[in-house]
Amino acid sequence: MACLHDHSCEDHDCGSQWSLYKHIDIPKVSALNEATAGSVKSIFKAWELRLDTSKIDAVNMCFSDKFSFDINGNTVLGFLESNEGDPELLIFIPFTCDVKIKSISVVGGADGKSPSKMRAFINRDNIDFSDAQDMTPLQEWELAENLQGMLEYQTRYSRFQSVGSLTLHFPDNFGGDSTQIYYIGLRGEATQLKRDVVATIVYEVMPNPSDHKTPTDHGGGMSEV
Amino acid sequence: MVLEATMICIDNSEWMRNGDYSPTRLQAQSEAVNLICGAKTQSNPENTVGLLTMAGKGVRVLVTPTSDLGKILACMHGLEIGGEMNLTAGIQVAQLALKHRQNKKQQQRIIVFAGSPVKYDKKVLEIIGKKLKKNSVALDIIDFGEEDDGKPEKLKALLTAVNNNDSSHIVHVPSGPSALSDVLLSTPVFTGDGEGGSAFAASAAAAAAGGGSFDFGVDPNIDPELALALRVSMEEERARQEAAAKRAAEDAARQEKEGGEQSSSSRDATMAEPTNVLDPGTDAKGPDTMDDETALLEQALAMSMDDPRASQSGTASMGDTDMSEATHEDQELAYALQMSVQDTAKDSSSQTDMSKVLGDQTFVSSILKSLPGVDPNDPSVKDLLASLQGQTEEKKEDEPPKEDEK
Repeated sequence: MACLHDHSCEDHDCGSQWSLYKHIDIPKVSALNEATAGSVKSIFKAWELRLDTSKIDAVNMCFSDKFSFDINGNTVLGFLESNEGDPELLIFIPFTCDVKIKSISVVGGADGKSPSKMRAFINRDNIDFSDAQDMTPLQEWELAENLQGMLEYQTRYSRFQSVGSLTLHFPDNFGGDSTQIYYIGLRGEATQLKRDVVATIVYEVMPNPSDHKTPTDHGGGMSEV
Repeated sequence: MVLEATMICIDNSEWMRNGDYSPTRLQAQSEAVNLICGAKTQSNPENTVGLLTMAGKGVRVLVTPTSDLGKILACMHGLEIGGEMNLTAGIQVAQLALKHRQNKKQQQRIIVFAGSPVKYDKKVLEIIGKKLKKNSVALDIIDFGEEDDGKPEKLKALLTAVNNNDSSHIVHVPSGPSALSDVLLSTPVFTGDGEGGSAFAASAAAAAAGGGSFDFGVDPNIDPELALALRVSMEEERARQEAAAKRAAEDAARQEKEGGEQSSSSRDATMAEPTNVLDPGTDAKGPDTMDDETALLEQALAMSMDDPRASQSGTASMGDTDMSEATHEDQELAYALQMSVQDTAKDSSSQTDMSKVLGDQTFVSSILKSLPGVDPNDPSVKDLLASLQGQTEEKKEDEPPKEDEK
């Protein structure tokens, strides 16, 4: 479902609602089938800057008119582009804390270079294209060309309650050679809680009863094995 | 120090029986695989390497990516040769094996040994390449063995389809005297992305070449104490020689101040850098058995080292050559030289030596002949020589009063 902003955005402070980008773990954001490695990091920014495609200083996340370079010396583009001739894109977005996602906004490129479909998976690391094509997504949307960033796509909120990482798969575009994405906006709440990660698991071949004492064993007067 | 999971695809088809890479192509591949495994695990201990064969009954994974080198080496024994290489299936299976690697943070890399002819056409290879690129898998192709028409182009097309940011490479290894593994050591397959890999490659190359790249023929990795002992003793020796040379230079400089002769001081300057210990015994050889300049150098050195016997003959020859050089310039200068040379050698025996040498006309003329621009038959030179000989006779009487004057 898409909805348009039915108010003039200057009065209503829309930008503050689209502030989930602050909770994205930017260094760990990755994408498959991107033409320039690392360009995916530049599409998560403040809502006010969603149409701004000037070069981003990837280290300081500030804008500059000059060319800027990432660690490998590649020019950091202000947008994400897929490889020539292949419109598929897969973006992995980890968060620094669990978030609840209310809606997603995507600004694509002109001339048919906008993505036409979006499929979302949550809390799965290391999905690649064959996995993404086979698995059923948590939710799927048909996108429209959204060059101004006014369209947002709502989520089934109950399913997006504790999201540690979000993976977005864009299988197709509107006919262009490649797919360009200038901005991805996320709206929702951050819970400030870190998702529980099971650190160590110990498997027992045979249980050792002394490891599994409970208070009732002593009080109940049962004999120890 | 890139964290990487690597799958190595070995060609064990019938073409690998050929012995143009010694001992057989398959053995050459085995050695190369050993080196690659070592290099990868050394550059980052968390790297893993896996192995699969492409020919035989079909593509077969021998080892899934592991950091245990022993497993990989064990699998290399008992490899059977047969069948035809299936390049596309091999690469796809390798990609699948990498997809299911245990540590998902590792970068994915496939290394393919393409020894037999490639029967697939370019289109198919390009599609495979694009798929690898899409899933960010890097590919290294080692082209050796059979040289087919079109094989290099096909492999090149595959490489361009895969290559993303120069992370993939292709290496062509022609058959020749050097082993496949040695040639590979210097290629980006080893040195490619990590500096750790190149350190391993350097030490492996040294071991292979017999310690050529290390100072003392000993690999510090293998025997650090021996290497250290050798280095310390070398430095001590060098320091001693430098001290001796400095002393020699000072002595010679002091002596030459009285003479004021430039060429000697330049020779002393060269003398200040001896790289090997000179044998004073060599000074005893007749100068005409050696190069003039070498003789002069060694005699000057011996002189400053205060060897009385050598210094006298050195003085004689040095004075001899000095004077021969000066003769065609200035007679007065020659006279002054003669005096200074005589001053340094206080013994009368030195006079005798010198006069004897001078008196040996043939010797002097031979010296003169070797000098550029001096014609011994030139009458002025002949006169000078005669006068010098006469002066030598006078010197014996005049020397004591001259010394008093000084």
